[in-house]
Amino acid sequence: MRIVVCLKVVPRPEEVKVDLETKMLDRAGARSVINASDLNALETALAYRDAHGGTVTVLSMGPPQFEPYLRVALAVGADDAILLSDRAFGGADTLATSYTLAAGIRKIGHVDLVICGEESSDGGTSQVPPSIAEWLDASQATYVERLVPGTHGTVHATRVLEEGKETVELSVPTVVSVVVGSNEPRFLDYDRWAFAQSAKVLVWNEKELAGDPQYLGLKGSPTAVAGLREVKKAGRRHETLTVTPDEAAARIKAEIDRTRLARS
Amino acid sequence: MAQASETNAPVRFDDETWEALAASTNANLCFQCGTCTAACPLADNTQMRVRRLVREAQFGETDPFVWKCMTCAECNASCPRGVDIVSIVRTLRGRQWRTRDVPKGLPTLLWGMYSDGNTFRLPPKQRASWMQDVKVPGKGSTLLFVGCAASYDPRAQRIARSVATLLNRAGVEYQVLGNDEVCCGEAARSVGHDALFRDLQQRNTDTFHQRGVERVIAISPHSFDALKAGQSANGGPEVVHYTQAIAELLDSGKLGKSSEKGTVTYHDPCYLGRHNGVYEAPRRLLELSGLKVVEMGNTRGQALCCGGGGGRMWMETDPPERTGTRRVKEAAGTGAELLATSCPYCISVFESERGSETIPVTDVAELLVGRAKA
Amino acid sequence: MVATDEGGLWVYAERRNDGSFTPVSLEILGKARELARKLSVELTVVTVGADGHAAAELRKYGPDHVLELVHPLLARHDGKAYATAIAAEVHKAHPSTLLLGATRNGQDLAGRLAVQLRTGLTAHVTSLELEGKDQLVGWVPGFGGGIEAGITCPVKRPQMVTVRPGVFPLPAEGPPVGDVTTVTPHLSEKDVGMHRVSFEPKGSSIDLTRADVIIVGGRGTGGNFGRIEELAHALGGEVGATRVATDAGWVDRDRMIGQTGVITRPKLVLVLGVSGAVQFTVGIEGAGTVVAVNRDPQAPIFDHADLGIVGDLAPVVESLLRALGEA
Repeated sequence: MRIVVCLKVVPRPEEVKVDLETKMLDRAGARSVINASDLNALETALAYRDAHGGTVTVLSMGPPQFEPYLRVALAVGADDAILLSDRAFGGADTLATSYTLAAGIRKIGHVDLVICGEESSDGGTSQVPPSIAEWLDASQATYVERLVPGTHGTVHATRVLEEGKETVELSVPTVVSVVVGSNEPRFLDYDRWAFAQSAKVLVWNEKELAGDPQYLGLKGSPTAVAGLREVKKAGRRHETLTVTPDEAAARIKAEIDRTRLARS
Repeated sequence: MAQASETNAPVRFDDETWEALAASTNANLCFQCGTCTAACPLADNTQMRVRRLVREAQFGETDPFVWKCMTCAECNASCPRGVDIVSIVRTLRGRQWRTRDVPKGLPTLLWGMYSDGNTFRLPPKQRASWMQDVKVPGKGSTLLFVGCAASYDPRAQRIARSVATLLNRAGVEYQVLGNDEVCCGEAARSVGHDALFRDLQQRNTDTFHQRGVERVIAISPHSFDALKAGQSANGGPEVVHYTQAIAELLDSGKLGKSSEKGTVTYHDPCYLGRHNGVYEAPRRLLELSGLKVVEMGNTRGQALCCGGGGGRMWMETDPPERTGTRRVKEAAGTGAELLATSCPYCISVFESERGSETIPVTDVAELLVGRAKA
Repeated sequence: MVATDEGGLWVYAERRNDGSFTPVSLEILGKARELARKLSVELTVVTVGADGHAAAELRKYGPDHVLELVHPLLARHDGKAYATAIAAEVHKAHPSTLLLGATRNGQDLAGRLAVQLRTGLTAHVTSLELEGKDQLVGWVPGFGGGIEAGITCPVKRPQMVTVRPGVFPLPAEGPPVGDVTTVTPHLSEKDVGMHRVSFEPKGSSIDLTRADVIIVGGRGTGGNFGRIEELAHALGGEVGATRVATDAGWVDRDRMIGQTGVITRPKLVLVLGVSGAVQFTVGIEGAGTVVAVNRDPQAPIFDHADLGIVGDLAPVVESLLRALGEA
């Protein structure tokens, strides 16, 4: 099984600032981490490979600064790493990002299984995995917590839905997104650092990717950010009151209504 | 892998595990007398048998009970041949990481230490929030190493503020690393992940070097022990526990004797007492409180572990197996009004596992500053 | 596709296992009716399935048209087949806007459909505004919820938006209106991506990590979890507990929240009779709103709460149950 894991490096959420005057996002001061559910995706891939054979390639789209994080993924257990990096890919929304990643997967060739995290902590759209599947004309299963081989070149994926858990059969090639917390990501293996640091991380630019320019980067992005606003101040409101039980109940009920959870 | 067999199948020795033990421990000295089993506090309420664990290790097999160990070192202290059994436990746990046979939650703990620099998965930039309105001189070659618990746990933050206040009162010139401090890695060392431990120690060594640090005062006995081991390996600064640092200042007269009346009993934290032999410094500080110290039966080298060591702070322990509850009961049994200790883990455990005992728990530094002001 | 005002407003109504519509589909339909009036365009609700009986229900919510796509291969949700079927109709009618519920299957469908239509998709909006002639601005949380971005699809059509459940109110039913068109899409086996092998309904296991509402009981409940369960039921939430409560045997260990238990991210958590040690609070760090009740004004839990009530737990719980009963 040739497995590709799509990995995103995201800024630490609590370190991103919004300049309320310019309405611009300031990521410059924020440190980065590998997106949490992508670590679950990597674990799913490695566990599958360990049990059933194959190779695991991590694939990411981003600036050269993402490279050390791909090396962390190699230290965790991935076999190789590819970074899609070019100014032309910048400013991409989910349509352009999924197109670019799909082009990368096509270039890798003979990929059976693409595993992604369910969503990223910065954009949080969870659109990229099904979009990649469509660009590749592959089957898909989203919100998966378990992946096992089926018969005759299929895999069985268990999806976690609002109503319950659905197990589906998918023919390969297929794209799967895994729910955060679906497994416990293995910690990195320091004995692999020598390999991880010296391994060649392939970097493919626009020319090497040979994608259709109309679908790349800002040009290939039908959506745009019209504005930004800060939702809550960092930390809790700390509104502490000593009131009668009835008044307390009224305040609590107002809080409940404010969170817009009126129905089950 | 060796097989504990109920049939007559041959037993296979796991040479690799034995070689690892031979290289990093003195397990070969064990002659199976069983004194360790008798000394181990877990022998009463669990099937933990230290002698058996060491014997199995000599054959290359790892007893799954190895994860229950709190690394309290009662076994080390009682062994007639001086076998470092705690090292054996850590080495065996280290081998389990290779096959990923580790308790659930531990990989997540290590990822947090690696990526966030603390054991709570909380943001690095909140690390200095313990300070509130306490001013730190911010200069000199002495460093106060706060540690994750005292940085992030609101209960333990009070200890950090108390220690800083005492140092300030004594006119000590020192600095803190603030948000640049990262975990000392003791939890990694405890759960057997030596590589992450050394990585975190090196990160701290580099920062110490940049800041011209020659002496480190640690708040947690776990940090104290870990930094002592790690920094000496790296050629880093000297490390002491805060009780030692403050005890040294008593002769200066800058710390006045408090006028609290009453009795207090003192619990010797394993990583201060048994592991490092520091018994008198905290008692000298307690004298300063004006309170009369009433010792428990199991005192100093015989102190019963709170149960938080050996990575157990991040694992669930069933109530019947909790030594912390027994220890609080023992403390209350002395009739003392207060239970004092000098470890954030011990305090956390005693306050949450006290059962029906109501004896208040305090840190030594808090007691000296006056608990209301901490 | 260029920006025109050709078609109108389309809403995808998603069906559940039992054939009923997801509440969010109806919520969006209600909002869409209002938007369609404002924009003076027509409202079409699209539904997909293997039987042709869905239309009647949808006509009660005021659409101009109901479009039913019926085919045996569409019996169960399948992102690939559903996207193909809907895309074919979109290509014929050129709607300007397509709204879907941001349920898991809704997202599964929307991501594929957006690529088939080569259009912009704004996902998980928590509010929707109208600008200019037909420009929707969807506000989307990001960066762990601290920041909201307003996203638009200025040129491509249809502009696609998925909306979170609970953002819009459930509309009132009315007399049935709207014409019904049933279409049998051209589909074959190769258009189907996934085949269901089995289904396990929710309720057979507790999963606090996915609960939107959690009511946590601690030492202060004195063991009285009956009232805690009633609150959970009234709010459609789950019961959580602290170490003290599970040690005492008041609740199962798998409901324990904290560093060595479950880490939760509910939208709302009520923390009742809990002191708030750090080993517990790390389990609710990611909660949207925290409400705490404790009789000790010094309890550390108040440092982790948005709203804190100092007082005895039992009377507050009784009053709250009354207040919710009256809702």
